[in-house]
Amino acid sequence: MNLFRSEEHARRWKKFDPDMEKTLRPLSFWAELFSEQLFRQRGRPDYMTWLRSGEGRQSVADLWKKMP
Amino acid sequence: MSDLALLDRAFANIIQRFVRTGQAPHYTELAKDLGLSMEEGCELVHELFARNVPGWVHPGTDLIASFAPFNNQPTQYRIAIDGHQKWFAQCGFEALAVRWLFPNKTVRVDAPCLDCGEPMVVEMRNEQILHVEPATIVGYTHSAIGGSREDAPFR
Repeated sequence: MNLFRSEEHARRWKKFDPDMEKTLRPLSFWAELFSEQLFRQRGRPDYMTWLRSGEGRQSVADLWKKMP
Repeated sequence: MSDLALLDRAFANIIQRFVRTGQAPHYTELAKDLGLSMEEGCELVHELFARNVPGWVHPGTDLIASFAPFNNQPTQYRIAIDGHQKWFAQCGFEALAVRWLFPNKTVRVDAPCLDCGEPMVVEMRNEQILHVEPATIVGYTHSAIGGSREDAPFR
């Protein structure tokens, strides 16, 4: 789960796997994905409880829907 | 098995320690903060990870190595908050989520490209991506996100 200077750099990386090409996305895509409530709520004092709430479960489901 | 309220307190304690210091607590510190025995503190750390908190102890130990979005062991993703660098992100993607733990602060990610070693910089503040250098930065993973826990420390 890494950042590269450009798509060409990622493709040249020795561990690049064409089977996982679907994860090769612009920074803006990953910045948006990692803005889901799952990430925003980590600072709350009841995070583990929140994860199991309706809102928390929905956030996890939303994340998986958007995951390449 | 611990109740959720205790897991909440443990999670919050670890995250807040990272936010304040850039480091994870040792389980003895966690235990003391939460009024538990040392053994209970140790078990609590392992239980958090067993409940799919995205992180891990260093293999074969009780030492918190990673606790998303942070890493206790240095990674190539150095994080500076308002100009002070003392944090490391778990991975390139989690580096982009660190900002949610530092509201109204400027979060800067400095990392070398794994292909060429040349620098990359991302600056963020709340909702805004303030600066990306070079503008062509991409994210990529060769392993399944949320995949096998066994190889998580080695991705």
